[in-house]
Amino acid sequence: MLERILTTKFRDTLKLLFADITNQQDRMDEEKFSEDEVRIKERLLDTIDLYPPDVLLDDDFLVAAIDGSGTDNFMMLDDIRVHLLSTATVVLDSKSRDGCFFEPLSTITIMQQLGSQPHLDAHWHSGVRNDARNKLAETLENIYPLKDVVDIVMPFFRDHTDGIVSSKSDFTGTIYEEYVPELTDMETLITRAQMLTNPVVHDELRKVSEYAAARNVLTSDLRPKYLLLDGALSVFMHFARKYPSMPSGFMLRDLAELARREGVILCAVSKNHTIPFAHRIAKTAQDLFGEDAKWFCHLPCEDDPGGGLHIIEDRTYIPPELAVPYLFSFSQENRPSRIDFDRIWWLENVFVPNDPIATRQNEKALFRDLEFMSRDARWYGYPVALALAHESCKLSYEDLRLARDISKDVRRELGLVDRKIEPMRVDYNL
Amino acid sequence: MVLDRDKLGELYGKVGMGNQTMLGIMGRNRDISVGEIFVIYSQRDGTERVFFFRVLGLENYLRHVDDIGGVAGTLMVEGDAYLSGIERNMLLSVNGKMLGYAQQTNGKWTFMSPRRLPDHLASVYRPMPGISDEQIRTMLATQTDGHIYIGDLQVGEDTLDVPVLIPSEFLPMHVGIFGSTGSGKSNLMMVLIKSIIDSNMGLTGVSDDKRLTLSAFCIDPHDEFAKGVDKYGIQSIVETMDDKTRKEVVGDFYYLTTHKKATPREVKRYAREIRVQWNEIQPRDLYSIMEFTPQMSSFIDTQYSQHREDWIENILDMTDDPAGTPSGTLNAVKRRLGLLERSPIFEKRCSSILDDIFHAMESGRILVVNTSLMSDMEQFLLTTIVTRTLSDMRRALKSSGTLGDFERQGYMRLPSQFFSRVKTQAKSFYGIGGITDDLPVRDPRNLPVILVTVEEAPSILNPELMRGQSVFKDISRQGRKFNIGLLVVSQQVSVLDNVILSQMNTEINLRLGNEREIRACIENASVNISGFENEFRVMSRGECIVTASYRELPLSVRIPLFDSVFEKDMNDYKGKKTGSTKKHEL
Ligand SMILES: Nc1ncnc2c1ncn2[C@@H]1O[C@H](COP(=O)(O)OP(=O)(O)OP(=O)(O)O)[C@@H](O)[C@H]1O
Ligand SMILES: [Mg+2]
Repeated sequence: MLERILTTKFRDTLKLLFADITNQQDRMDEEKFSEDEVRIKERLLDTIDLYPPDVLLDDDFLVAAIDGSGTDNFMMLDDIRVHLLSTATVVLDSKSRDGCFFEPLSTITIMQQLGSQPHLDAHWHSGVRNDARNKLAETLENIYPLKDVVDIVMPFFRDHTDGIVSSKSDFTGTIYEEYVPELTDMETLITRAQMLTNPVVHDELRKVSEYAAARNVLTSDLRPKYLLLDGALSVFMHFARKYPSMPSGFMLRDLAELARREGVILCAVSKNHTIPFAHRIAKTAQDLFGEDAKWFCHLPCEDDPGGGLHIIEDRTYIPPELAVPYLFSFSQENRPSRIDFDRIWWLENVFVPNDPIATRQNEKALFRDLEFMSRDARWYGYPVALALAHESCKLSYEDLRLARDISKDVRRELGLVDRKIEPMRVDYNL
Repeated sequence: MVLDRDKLGELYGKVGMGNQTMLGIMGRNRDISVGEIFVIYSQRDGTERVFFFRVLGLENYLRHVDDIGGVAGTLMVEGDAYLSGIERNMLLSVNGKMLGYAQQTNGKWTFMSPRRLPDHLASVYRPMPGISDEQIRTMLATQTDGHIYIGDLQVGEDTLDVPVLIPSEFLPMHVGIFGSTGSGKSNLMMVLIKSIIDSNMGLTGVSDDKRLTLSAFCIDPHDEFAKGVDKYGIQSIVETMDDKTRKEVVGDFYYLTTHKKATPREVKRYAREIRVQWNEIQPRDLYSIMEFTPQMSSFIDTQYSQHREDWIENILDMTDDPAGTPSGTLNAVKRRLGLLERSPIFEKRCSSILDDIFHAMESGRILVVNTSLMSDMEQFLLTTIVTRTLSDMRRALKSSGTLGDFERQGYMRLPSQFFSRVKTQAKSFYGIGGITDDLPVRDPRNLPVILVTVEEAPSILNPELMRGQSVFKDISRQGRKFNIGLLVVSQQVSVLDNVILSQMNTEINLRLGNEREIRACIENASVNISGFENEFRVMSRGECIVTASYRELPLSVRIPLFDSVFEKDMNDYKGKKTGSTKKHEL
């Protein structure tokens, strides 16, 4: 292979490819961006008003954040796969009055309210037909604190249909009617059965673990002002059925509804995102506000005043179903990040119909808080609670090695026959 | 044999991660002090190892801040940056040093340099007085055993009942005592003198064949040792002894002073007056303590070769520069020799103390030399003459096969009047089976170890003087062949000559005055103690770090006050048979 890669022919192939991308995609995007540019500059972008470093907030508040990690390849026992999952919840207190900004709540409080952190869980399934789906459903049922599947699915339909379908009986006469039997069982909520590859299973497990942790925060006595998730508030829809193709999609909407009810602002932050032209928007912001300005930029959808942006016209996943994304930058050191809010909450709390000025004020108040919680010197520009949650849940290579050692030891202790338990060697991974 | 882990100390946590200089400990977050030792138990393939990790600095959190520098930068550049909840986390990152590990083979503990690291999740213990003493003592025996007691092993702010001793066979390879003023040098000297007495009595240390009789010539510039600073002094030991023990261990005298009349009555009984005759001084002695131009030394050398031991008298009687000598040389030399003319202790004719010193040093005695009424130069000259005389005697012995050879060698090397007076005595020390000339001589390495203290060492062990024909240069290099060691006492390390520093094999580093000395001390240490800067900075009086070329482990030691060790042991000096070994107890 190497001798092929080292040829000029390969380089030429690449050159052609990149030329192609520039010709087709970039040029097209460039055109689209110029169509959006004025609107971005004038309506969607704005600076963030900063709290002074020694601010005394009228109301100090709590921020909770959740992150998860794990591996879909913790162990292989013949065709049995063992997944390992870790989830961490961090709750910080803005504590401006004490001067120790965003201090974690005491371990004891966290223990009492949420159980010890981080959580570690394992999951397994075999290669037997339907076993992956079976076991996945079983684990999800175990993990998610809300047990009644109907309760889990209804929030989605309520938000999605604007309240038209608000209880199980409302399905009658709708396009969903034929799916009702499937909407009452965790296993049949998994409608992507054909594509249940190991990474997909793992992803779903991780998401649901995180959502379960989030739900625990919402039902605790902690009442944070913000609840931060890692990633986006995306719900992947089943193409034909027009509802989420995985249980996690429903659960997310359950969380959103619960958060609204509890007065908690739910959002998801992602450093790695695929918003096209983020760099162009950043450049525009710098030109407008200066090199080290802190800014945010709303990415509207079709239903918003002025309609959707051209640059994301054909990217169906942006904005996600029932979510409102923004780009923001709190530090010129990093590329802009993305943050998603629950659209229903946003319509009730941020957006003021026919009053762009009031809307902007709401947005500014929101980002002012978000920026304030992103000043930790270790992760400047990124919400410290999320960073701490990440640090707390991440499984390093070393951790995994150790966990595997221990699992071997446990098997020995249990007197189990030794099967091939090593994960496949990387270089053998054909 | 399986180790009782409870005896290691209090269980503190588990090793999370680590390398030679950093340990992530999952443990209780609470005060850890610089200098603290963590003991880590590790077992692999049936081999038990106990690692010793010394805390040299702390970070109260461990959240994998890969780039501390970057964080500091952000804190500076982004004026509004903060650090969230840093003291709350449970995982501590402790900067320090893996000192090595103890390992048991065939029931014996050995100590190894840190070539390995403890396993992940190995248990971390914190040694505790009253719990860990015996276990630590056993494991570290190779690192702490010896004959001359210095103090007890310190772990952080606590002291364990683990006595730290220096093996007597390493004393001739020179010992350095470094500490700023008030760091506890004088108290340490008194503790050492006591330990030497105890060792000679067989009271301390391991009972093995390696124990040598010890002698020490201890300069006492403030006249503190005999009477002590507070309640007790060396005099107290001498007085506590029964007559027989005193005769065997101390002899008739132990106190040398310039003015016997001014000595307190009880000490006076053991005092001798310091007097040295001009003819016992050699040019080399002067070259060792002050600088001479080449003209001056060539003039002196000529005079010495013509008049031998009467050279000083002759020069002082001369009135004109002799032919061939640049004018002014004579006067310059006379000015330097004026020291001797004015001095009450260096006399043309007197009853010399050198004979007594020689006798005492070859008999395993300690001498406390009160130099408080001497000038610096007198003190240096005395130290030099004594050192040179003792070493030339042993040198003469070393180059001889028989006592007859020895006599010839002695006359060649030493002032003849002095040698005539001591030769019979010397033969009784050096001969095997009698004093007749055909008898074979003993190996100097079986004779008592003689320790000579060099106080205010930078004045004579500096590079300028050591460049020339310094007596101390020879001793630093060859002392061990003659069993003569220097006990170099200094407030500074940085100004000492490299020859002596490189020949030194034991360093007792007390609190130091400034960063430069700390750095010099660390560089000079016989074991790698880089990174110990913080520890030096927080050291208090009476604490020291002992490093030795023959040990892997740098030891933190708390030196007890002389009064307390004396009070503890005073009963041992009464009616005790010498030669028995007492087990250490607190
Ligand atoms: N091991 C010790 N433990 C507690 N205190 C001590 C210890 N050693 C010395 N000290 C106290 O410190 C003070 C100074 O001690 P010492 O005279 O031994 O210091 P030094 O280094 O000889 O000072 P200098 O350079 O001035 O001669 C004394 O008051 C003594 O009591
Ligand atoms: Mg002193």
